[in-house]
Amino acid sequence: NNSDKTNEKCFFVYTSMQVEVEPVGRWFEAYVKRRNRNTSASFQELEEEEESSEESEDEELQLEEDPMLRTLDPKDWKNQDHYAVLGLTNVRYKATQKQIKAAHKAAVLKHHPDKRKAVGEQITEGDNDYFTCITKAIEILSDPVKRRAFDSVDPTFDNTMPSKSEGKDNFFKVFGPVFERNARWSSKKHVPKLGTMESSFEEVDSFYTFWYNFDSWREFSYLDEEEKEKAECRDERRWIEKQNRASRAQRKKEEMNRIRTLVDTAYSCDPRIKKFKEEEKARKESEKKAKAEAKKREQEEKERAVQAELEAARLLKQKEEEEAKQAAQQAKKEKEIQKKAIKKERQKLRATCKNWNYFADNEADSVKMMEEVEKLCDRLELASLQSLNEVLASSSKDESKAAVVKQVDDVNVQLQKEKEAEVQARQAARGADQASGGGGSVGGKGWNEEDLQLLIKAVNLFPAGTNARWEVIANYMNQHSTSGMKRTAKDVINKAKNLQRLDPVQKDEINKKAFEKFKKEHTSLPSEDKAVPSERFDGEPAGSDLNTAPWTSEEQKLLEQALKSYPVNTPERWEKIADAVPGRSKKDCMKRYKELVEMVKAKKAAQEQVAARSKK
Amino acid sequence: MAPLLTRWWRCRKGGADKSRRRKAEVVQRNVGSSVFLNMTAIGVHLGCSSACVAVFKDGRAEVVANDAGDRITPAVVAYRDNEQIVGVAARQGRVWNSANTVVKVKQLLGRRFNHPETQLHRSQTKCPVINREERPFYEITTGEHIKYVAPEDAAKVIFKKMRETAQSALGSNVTEVVVAVPVEFAPAQKKAMRDAAQGAGLNVLRLIHEPAAALLAYNIGQNSSSGRSHVLVYKLGGASLSVTVMQVNGGIYRVLNTHTDPSVGGESFTEALAQHLATEFKRTFKHDVSSNARAMLKLMNGADMAKHSLSLLGSANCFVDSLHNGIDFECTVSRARFESLCSSLFSKSVQPIRGLLESVGLSTSDINQVVLCGGSTRIPRLQTMIRDIFPHVDLLSSAPPDELIAVGAALEAGLLVGHDGLGCEEEPMAVDVSATDILVKEVDESGAEVFTTLLPSGTPLPARRHHILTGQGTLSSVSIDVYQRWVSRPPEKLAKIVLRDLQLKEEKHSISTVLTMKRDGSIHVSCVEQSGGRPEVVAIASKK
Repeated sequence: NNSDKTNEKCFFVYTSMQVEVEPVGRWFEAYVKRRNRNTSASFQELEEEEESSEESEDEELQLEEDPMLRTLDPKDWKNQDHYAVLGLTNVRYKATQKQIKAAHKAAVLKHHPDKRKAVGEQITEGDNDYFTCITKAIEILSDPVKRRAFDSVDPTFDNTMPSKSEGKDNFFKVFGPVFERNARWSSKKHVPKLGTMESSFEEVDSFYTFWYNFDSWREFSYLDEEEKEKAECRDERRWIEKQNRASRAQRKKEEMNRIRTLVDTAYSCDPRIKKFKEEEKARKESEKKAKAEAKKREQEEKERAVQAELEAARLLKQKEEEEAKQAAQQAKKEKEIQKKAIKKERQKLRATCKNWNYFADNEADSVKMMEEVEKLCDRLELASLQSLNEVLASSSKDESKAAVVKQVDDVNVQLQKEKEAEVQARQAARGADQASGGGGSVGGKGWNEEDLQLLIKAVNLFPAGTNARWEVIANYMNQHSTSGMKRTAKDVINKAKNLQRLDPVQKDEINKKAFEKFKKEHTSLPSEDKAVPSERFDGEPAGSDLNTAPWTSEEQKLLEQALKSYPVNTPERWEKIADAVPGRSKKDCMKRYKELVEMVKAKKAAQEQVAARSKK
Repeated sequence: MAPLLTRWWRCRKGGADKSRRRKAEVVQRNVGSSVFLNMTAIGVHLGCSSACVAVFKDGRAEVVANDAGDRITPAVVAYRDNEQIVGVAARQGRVWNSANTVVKVKQLLGRRFNHPETQLHRSQTKCPVINREERPFYEITTGEHIKYVAPEDAAKVIFKKMRETAQSALGSNVTEVVVAVPVEFAPAQKKAMRDAAQGAGLNVLRLIHEPAAALLAYNIGQNSSSGRSHVLVYKLGGASLSVTVMQVNGGIYRVLNTHTDPSVGGESFTEALAQHLATEFKRTFKHDVSSNARAMLKLMNGADMAKHSLSLLGSANCFVDSLHNGIDFECTVSRARFESLCSSLFSKSVQPIRGLLESVGLSTSDINQVVLCGGSTRIPRLQTMIRDIFPHVDLLSSAPPDELIAVGAALEAGLLVGHDGLGCEEEPMAVDVSATDILVKEVDESGAEVFTTLLPSGTPLPARRHHILTGQGTLSSVSIDVYQRWVSRPPEKLAKIVLRDLQLKEEKHSISTVLTMKRDGSIHVSCVEQSGGRPEVVAIASKK
């Protein structure tokens, strides 16, 4: 070609780039649409043009005229093969619009009644001429919707499907062409191929996913029994439409079933699926096995580790025990040796002393000395005994005596000291005890007897359950105390508890204390009072021990009831009240009433003060 | 026989029962119209200070007035005991309910609590903003209850109002919406905006950028998909200024660069005017009102009205009842006075333009159009200042600038509604474009060589251009050169096509050239003499 040589074909470094654009406007939408279709309109056109120009050149030669064309009946156009009429039998549904147009043009040039007339043929008049068939064919094939309808029911299409038994032996040979044939109904382009035995799992998977979700454009409007256009009125048209719709839906359903059956059959026959399933099974099995093994191994490992640990612990323990045993034996031996030595030394000392006749002249002295020496024997350590013995062995009687006496004195001093220390420790312990008791002793921390009495009284006055009881008590104490001590609620609580406890140490101490002190205590604080606190802390407020028989709660209730029922201005009020309370005289009741009034007053005052203080 | 009978019977019946059929027809028409109404969609622009809604109906986008009769609704939400008020009433109520009135909610949308913008907003608003899991929340005290309102919820209330406004205008339910957002919105902010719209029962078709919506409203580049132009969008809203340079290429918009300044806005002008009024008041009545928050709010409202009238009139009267200590205040402000008060603010608002142009390598003469949007671009002084910068460019300000973005959003909504399967591209989408200009060399009448740009750089690919060259009829062969050109570099030759054996004839040869560029950047050029002859084709592959 001439132009090929002259045209300089340059290959430049030339790139497109990507930029971000605003998703706005008509042209953007058009762009996205094009892109989503995965083809560019302009370029597709370009390609199509090229293709068609090539094909049409080849194809024009291949136009095959239908030998039956001249015998066709135009009235029966629905059953004619439009492709055959136009001579496109070898391309059929693959024919481009351009090819169809060209074929039509050729057919018209050849078969138009005017042309034939010119040749001198006999022409049937009107629509009965076979040329009408050609017109009908181009009418159907040039309209994409009608053409699709015709293509859907293409008489040359093989609707048959291989059966299972057929597909079992020669799967790829049997099913390959079937799927390829049916792929033309897909609305999507790029139908996945059946593939071969070597296809990967993904390929097979995508193949079956595609076919199970097959989206077919095949429709059966061409087979409509009645034509909508023929209807006379609207209702009839609607009725026809309904009929047609039903039959189309029925056919479509059948078609879908057909495809489905085909795919099902293929799936069940597919040797690859079988293979994959087996592989999967094997893989799972091996995995399971591996897992189980791993688990087993792990278990064993664990057990072994536990065993080893136990062994180690046992060994360690054994070793320790042995060591301890040995040490104990050693210690025992040493002790025995020491004991023997001490025994020996003591014997020696005694013997020496005896030799010296206990450095005494008379019996009494010797007995005393003997005691002292025994004490020495008991108290002295091995080393000092040894040294004493050495001194005794090497020196004269007087010197020995002096040494022994000195030792005895030392020992005595030591004993004395120990005793003192013991006493001190005991005292300290007691002191601590008292301190923890918060001033347990009567005289301690400013609690004198009067205060104690007051406390007991207050505790009785404000029974458990009074609002802010201990504060009220403390307040009461502060008001009535003669000692002028300020006491907080805490102090009071401590003291009261202490009194309640009356621990044995204190009792012991009290017993041990000098008689006059006890007596003095006794006179100022009656012993019965001392017993009161622990019994009466939580006693009823009504409890009064001034009378021989204290007021019981029942009596108290009766009294209160009576006081209410007989108001102040009732004549002979107290007599009636006394009548109401059995077992009490008028005087008793009056006394009781006065007490109660006093108590209530005191209570109120104390509570008010507390309230005032808490407000501050 | 049977089907025929049925048909006959049906026909008879149909004829007899005419009235019922008519009724059925009426019903059908209604159904049809409802189907059509479902095709309506709205565009919403939620700004810092105001919101606007436009509906797309019958192929046109129209702004809808709210129940108060205003086409713009103040984006203010007031929380009362058991109701939420949006719009003018809420803004008026701000004078006495400022602690429970949410303003400028857009500034908080999708922002974290410790973001500087959030902190700035906190310092300016009277409504307390608290920190809750790093997110800002409004603390609203109604009655004894304290409730915490997320910015999204406040925005949702505004969207609800916008939806109601559109529904009352259309008389039907509206769900499809396109929402305009600023270019600089981060993904989190966009998400918050989308959530707010969805919370109001709207289906967000797409979020589009405000300048793109403004361009769409002026129908820039929509009529033909060829050609390239640069447009500057100048938006001066209630609380922010944003200037954006956009490139329109093949009908597709692209943001080249944008500049945002949240410190300038319509409100700063109002504030300046209010300060002036306060000093006037002090001078006349010897009372200082600047410490009285309520009086200042009243003064701001008055100043706002005065500012609006000053855009139309030479002078405006400002009147505030019982401003301070029961004194009524009246004052007349002239436009000249207002301009002198705000002169520094004006220069601050136009100053970013030049810097922005410099950053994208364009001069003022490269800009083909300037679009003004945002209510404050109504100020005459500002318009003259912009016109001074672009003396030879037409300033697009014919449409109401504060409605522009909503109209653009509605137009986009109209494009999108009913096209379901388009796939919603959230982010600005990446598109292949040509990196260089593609030119052909021609010889003009005088014999000088002239380059004609067929595909400007930035043309979305694939693209195709037709070009017709003419030559003397006496020529027997013609050569066509294809060049590419990088920005401000001499053109490089790509290919040469020679057409030979042309028929000699009296009239001029006209040679049609078709240039197609594929997405990967490869080019096909085909030339043919129009009166016939063999075409010549050259393919230029691209090297990535």
